[in-house]
Amino acid sequence: MPSEKTLTGLDQAAWEELVTRFGGRMWAVARACGLGPADAADAVQGAWLRMVENLDGIRDPERVGAWLVTTTRHEAVRLARRSRGERPGPSALTDAVVPDPAASVVNADVGRRLWLLLDGLAEPCRSLLRLYALNPDAKYAQISMRLGLPIGSIGPTRSRCMSRLRALIEEDR
Amino acid sequence: MTDDGLPDDHLPDYLLAALRMAAGVDPVPGRVSDAARDAYSLRLPGGVVAAPYEIGAVVGARSEGDPAMHRFGADGITLDVEVTVTDGRLDVAGQVSPAPGPGARVEVRTPGAGETRTPSESGHFAVAGLPSGWISVVCHRPGLAPVATRWLHVRD
Repeated sequence: MPSEKTLTGLDQAAWEELVTRFGGRMWAVARACGLGPADAADAVQGAWLRMVENLDGIRDPERVGAWLVTTTRHEAVRLARRSRGERPGPSALTDAVVPDPAASVVNADVGRRLWLLLDGLAEPCRSLLRLYALNPDAKYAQISMRLGLPIGSIGPTRSRCMSRLRALIEEDR
Repeated sequence: MTDDGLPDDHLPDYLLAALRMAAGVDPVPGRVSDAARDAYSLRLPGGVVAAPYEIGAVVGARSEGDPAMHRFGADGITLDVEVTVTDGRLDVAGQVSPAPGPGARVEVRTPGAGETRTPSESGHFAVAGLPSGWISVVCHRPGLAPVATRWLHVRD
């Protein structure tokens, strides 16, 4: 990682190192926000473009990973809203990004611990989260058929199950 | 929606992302990584990033085909940018005010390409047929720092 106060002097090699380190996490976050592959690609690219704009303004290079992941989520949420037909507000471009400390959980090591905890969850949480995690493009209708749950209950059940998993990982820490 | 009622909670998305990374499902496509690497060349050393102004024109009903208006300002100039989507391509028109004078150029950039125009005496410029997605307009003035709008995402 560069040691300068800002990222102004970031060279191509250091940039590529950031892409290698964080590109996969950014993609996973954009997809976890519910975006299809084309929108997710745009959200990730948007985050890198925000980085290009902000090289002078990122004061804490140590937190650049959290900044990239948080920015990807901002762009993904904005694209998801627009896909649902909501008009962007006038402030759509003005949001300043504050790196979210929670972004640090987006990595494969935490993911492996989550899988162990997930296996200990009761049904239907165990199967539902497993299906949802392993099939990023699965529709609620498909999950409903596979698990024999009413389609209207998939969203709320998923939220409830995710909260259980979250409680477990917070205990585990 | 979360049990603790926090608004706009990010953690469930992050946990789902971590599960998928550990399972190795849906890895980042190569073209997305290539685009990320290429973004480095879009830096504008010494440039000034123009912040968006809120303008009334974007509020209210807007039917398809109508232009989206955006206004940006920095370093003493205002950049008005109007984008129209036609058959999935972007037509970008706009004005630099005050008019930047002789020797100035306006560059309409997309991540993959850019088109440069000499603005008219009144500061107007137009570029047609760009790929949809991210765009930024840069005003280059002789002897002065280039002024670039923040990147805008425009699509059907």
